[in-house]
Amino acid sequence: MLVACVLLSLVALVLPSPIRSTVAGALRGTVVVPLASLQERAEVSRRAVLAYDASVRVADSIRLQAGQSDVIAAENERLRRLLGLGAALKWGFVPAEALHGRGLGDDYTMTLTVGRNEGVEPFSAVVAPDGLVGMIETVDARSSVAIVWPHPDFRVSAMSADGTAFGIVYPHLGAGATRFLLELRGVAFRNALRPGTLIVSAGLGGVYPRGIPVGTVLSELKTAEGWARNYLLRPAVRPADATAVMVVQPTRAKEGVSAAWQHAVDSALRMVVSAGDSLAKQRADSLATAERQRLDSLQALRPRPDSLPAVRPRPDSTVPPGGAP
Amino acid sequence: MNFARGFWFVLVFLTLVVLHYTLRPVLDWRASIDFLAIAVLLVAVRARPGVATIVGFAVGITSDAMMPSAFGAGALAFSVVAYTASSLKAAFFADNIALNAVFVFLGKWVGDLVFLAAEHRLGGSEFLAQALLWSPLAAAVTAVVGLGVLVVLRPVVGTPRG
Repeated sequence: MLVACVLLSLVALVLPSPIRSTVAGALRGTVVVPLASLQERAEVSRRAVLAYDASVRVADSIRLQAGQSDVIAAENERLRRLLGLGAALKWGFVPAEALHGRGLGDDYTMTLTVGRNEGVEPFSAVVAPDGLVGMIETVDARSSVAIVWPHPDFRVSAMSADGTAFGIVYPHLGAGATRFLLELRGVAFRNALRPGTLIVSAGLGGVYPRGIPVGTVLSELKTAEGWARNYLLRPAVRPADATAVMVVQPTRAKEGVSAAWQHAVDSALRMVVSAGDSLAKQRADSLATAERQRLDSLQALRPRPDSLPAVRPRPDSTVPPGGAP
Repeated sequence: MNFARGFWFVLVFLTLVVLHYTLRPVLDWRASIDFLAIAVLLVAVRARPGVATIVGFAVGITSDAMMPSAFGAGALAFSVVAYTASSLKAAFFADNIALNAVFVFLGKWVGDLVFLAAEHRLGGSEFLAQALLWSPLAAAVTAVVGLGVLVVLRPVVGTPRG
């Protein structure tokens, strides 16, 4: 039996290639079909598993790159605006990175990576491209600590961008999310501010130079005081977003920095004016529409000439044809 | 071998054949487990040399159908291994686990050597690497798995024919 099998095997080995292929194909088409099918499915499964891992890796990489690109784009935008602010200030400022702590009370302060060696002094204003961030409280040789506007001790004299209303800005000590808003207190009762009005530092008190955006009016706060108005402000800067800031040195503050944010003031004024124009236009449109509707209603009530009944002669009053009565 | 044992034996044989075409491609090891060799050796130690040779030839020609370039090489290798194993089983299958492992190892390795020599595909250093490195590694892996199969299935399929 061994000899026969060995001989058959050797014959199979030495068969011409076309015949070998034919015999092998015949086997593959009959008895080997289920085994070939099993092997094919196993290999497909293996490729699917490997492809799944690869595709998951690719998807993860793309997702990671997408997330990072958003962060990098936002960071670039912040740095670009900071460069613009630096170009506008020209001199008398110290750029710094803001380190945000994660501990209790760290929402109210930030550590800056610059200190006395870089020319930072206590009570210097800390600003960002969007506006006022806070004030330097303590200074070390290479770092400093600044209080930011949610700090309970934060105060800044402020005014509306057009200079018509003055007051003092405090942190809003409300509960929940409103804790991170500001209040403008002590505005003269005659000076009503519209929502959206830009509030800037007034420059009184010597710490914060005039013209730095502080926030925009959200709404008026109801108070028992009858001689002054208080307003809720949306801050110009979110402390969490302020990763790169500038410390304005006192000598620069005395010279005035309002030109650096003039474009913000102008655009805010334009926005308020255009909002007022829009309201006036909307009111005029609505009045015109109402007048037109009133006229149309009156027109509809008036009888139409072609709707009057026709006057028909009575049969007994008609003249017979061809003769007078 | 009674009917029940024969049924289990056929079931185990078919399971090994199926594993060869399902688990082996999924694992895709360079030194892979040869479930067909285990199946043929399982038959060889329980059947007469003639029957074992026929089974070896059938299994070999079936596996050769998947690779027409070496058509007949597998049949030759499995025929020789099955006949030799069936003839030598009395020496090896003395309820000695180590000898059983050596039996499977040698069966697989010799089968690979016959196959490599018959197919004439590899030459020189490639042939030596396959014959002296990868084939022994595959034989070792197959021996480990085959030993496990033999030990686990002994109560089911019975002891080898003496």
